[in-house]
Amino acid sequence: MTLRTTAQWIFAVGFAAGLALGAPARADESPSGTPPEMVTTYNALADAILAVKNTEDALVRTILGATYAHAGVDLGRARAAIKANDAKGSQAALENLASEVATIASEGDAAVGAVRKRLLEGGHHHHADGEAKGIYDPGFVVVTRAAHQQLLDASRAIGQLARAPKADALEAEWGKVQSAWNGLMRPAK
Amino acid sequence: MGEGAVGLERPHEAGEVTGSAGADRAFAVSAAHAGSAGLTGLTGAASRRARVSCLALVSCLALAACVHRAAAPPSTTPATASTAASTTTPAAPAAPRFQFVDVAAPAGLSRMLLAGRPGKDHLLDSAGSGVAFLDYDRDGRLDVYLPNAWRLEGERVVERGRAALYRGLPDGTFRDVTDEAGVGGEGAWGTGVVAADYDGDGWTDILLTAFGRNVLYRNRGDGRFENVAARAGVEAPGWNTAAAFFDADGDGDLDLYIAAYIDCTLDDVLKARPTLDWKGLEKVAFGPFGLTGARDHFFRQENGRFVDATDEAGLADRGLGFGFAVRAADFDDDGDLDLFVANDSDPSYLYRNEGNGRFREVGAWAGCAFDGNGAAQASMGIAAGDVFGSGRLDLFVTTFTEDFSTLFRNLGDGLFEDVSEPTGVGPATWKSLSWGAAFGDFDSDGDLDLVIADGHIYPQIDRHPEIIGTFKERNLLLENRGGRFVDVTGDAGPGFQVVESSRGLAIGDYDNDGDLDVLISNLDAPPTLLRNDTPQGAWLVVDCEGPRGGPAPPGTRVTVQAGGRAFRRDVSAGDSYAGSHDPRLHFGLGGATVADVVDVRWPDGGHTILRDVTLRRFLKVRR
Repeated sequence: MTLRTTAQWIFAVGFAAGLALGAPARADESPSGTPPEMVTTYNALADAILAVKNTEDALVRTILGATYAHAGVDLGRARAAIKANDAKGSQAALENLASEVATIASEGDAAVGAVRKRLLEGGHHHHADGEAKGIYDPGFVVVTRAAHQQLLDASRAIGQLARAPKADALEAEWGKVQSAWNGLMRPAK
Repeated sequence: MGEGAVGLERPHEAGEVTGSAGADRAFAVSAAHAGSAGLTGLTGAASRRARVSCLALVSCLALAACVHRAAAPPSTTPATASTAASTTTPAAPAAPRFQFVDVAAPAGLSRMLLAGRPGKDHLLDSAGSGVAFLDYDRDGRLDVYLPNAWRLEGERVVERGRAALYRGLPDGTFRDVTDEAGVGGEGAWGTGVVAADYDGDGWTDILLTAFGRNVLYRNRGDGRFENVAARAGVEAPGWNTAAAFFDADGDGDLDLYIAAYIDCTLDDVLKARPTLDWKGLEKVAFGPFGLTGARDHFFRQENGRFVDATDEAGLADRGLGFGFAVRAADFDDDGDLDLFVANDSDPSYLYRNEGNGRFREVGAWAGCAFDGNGAAQASMGIAAGDVFGSGRLDLFVTTFTEDFSTLFRNLGDGLFEDVSEPTGVGPATWKSLSWGAAFGDFDSDGDLDLVIADGHIYPQIDRHPEIIGTFKERNLLLENRGGRFVDVTGDAGPGFQVVESSRGLAIGDYDNDGDLDVLISNLDAPPTLLRNDTPQGAWLVVDCEGPRGGPAPPGTRVTVQAGGRAFRRDVSAGDSYAGSHDPRLHFGLGGATVADVVDVRWPDGGHTILRDVTLRRFLKVRR
């Protein structure tokens, strides 16, 4: 269904409902009460709103998933470069890894952040309640404040490792990333 | 700038996705997948209803676009550092000995600096502007340039302030030469200034950034300037703030980065009303939350013209950060100039120069995009200096009230850690709303102190002074005592007891007596010029000149070895809050009697080395 036909459908329902409201009531009909067509439309809208919110969650998780996948690739490169004593290669891989972990910490890169800012500008808070409780930063969908800090710390530590790569230290930091990641990806109860 | 900016909003940017082509492909595929996945939970009629209602949802969101989020008070959580600051400098005596006197009026700096409406209905009303020390006529004395804004009444523009150029005279006073020099600002709402010899002819030029079109005054060398902004391609209409000239690609000429704040029109400004709730007590100017950030610009210089190369250079402001301050410096000591951009309420950017005119944004993992608590701060001003005697440039970033201004210690290779708390900088700045800042050795005892311009943005808080203070505040002087910063404002003489709503700040030795003075802009008031009358230790001022005279190119680094220690300074063109410091480099050398080595490293990698240099003098070094 195209946007145009969608719009036409909505207008048709609204128009019909409007006619129903405007039509003179028969003696045996109650003049009060919201017309069922409007309730149906509102229900459809509610479905859409809730579905879009779910879609936002899924999209953000997918964005994070893509970044996490890139991080996994760079982790592999870093491991291999460290093993091969390839200083240049390990530095590049570790810096990339640090950048990707920081991107996850910030729930997407700057471009994603700009979108989030737009949503906030429009008054949309995915977790309004969670924000009020200090669990989420404004506009964040998946990454909690605690995870943000944990991942950011790990990204800094990995960034510092780029100067002096150490395999065990890398594994320790990656363990922290995985821990935070698993916490974020756990299905909501 | 703006209530609710601190500690509340810390999302967004965390460095670019690397391997962009591959990443983009992955994103596109994943997004498409997610888009369908989100709706797959619904089937049949529900799915149809959902799709059908999408348009209605879009309409609802559009209607909601006018509903702005009310900001909560800023965080009061102090930053923490992972390690304590080192104490590489000896502890100085604790007895108060600073003495500053405001001599702006007797020195002739009388220009009233306009700032919108009294009620500061829009953030532009309270943004003020930077200031600059420069030597436009090459007479060896500092001159002063002051951008100026407009005065508004309700929705009317009632006065377009004129910028001012003051020529420094031998007796320590200034003469207004704005008209004869032709640098009155072209009627622009001035927001900042950078003094630099952009065309390499040996004469200092002036970039006046503006809300509107920027003005680039080319110094003709005869006491007159001409506005070449349109011809040079740097007008960039918008709410421009700070800027920096620097050689980004190592080709020998100066390129230009200009930060921008909010995407808005004059009509938006004129029609603005205070609608943001402040602590449930007052309505104040709205933003920056709920407003759209404006894109920063990067221009590469090509034969005197500036060509927009923002995306090509990797400097795209992808987060549309609310940019307020810019500083170019070699933060990772690899021989080229990096760029730090302080964003208000957004993560700051650290663009690392990859050596070929391309930059990579690394702020988040390099440790300076957020404070130590992972919060994006309301960053407004920058100071850079070798605070710990490591030979590396540390960063200080000023912020909103009820938050620490942050000192980032440079760990080497351009990596930073927040040391605001252990150094005392954080607690000393928590209450202030801070803007321009500079590191300088104000008593020449051999370490860098810190001076900060302060002033709130909401005049409405004056009705509740018991909460956080007043619209007008004292500026701050923090003395470095062995790596800890102590607030000595109260004992720094009458100049630091001046109470204004200050913004821009530049340091320099305007009276050529060997110490650092401070120039400060104030809202709806003339500037403050703090003459430093503090007894000084040994000092040396190194005046580096470019090949044709005039100021040294930004990035010129001077290291002085004296008394068994090394002191580093660098030349910048664009610093503090949208301003420029004295291009001559002041070194306080404590009890040293001679500079064993003065090493000037020029941006092209060449060195000029001088040995056994006598102190308490101005040392001119030409490339």
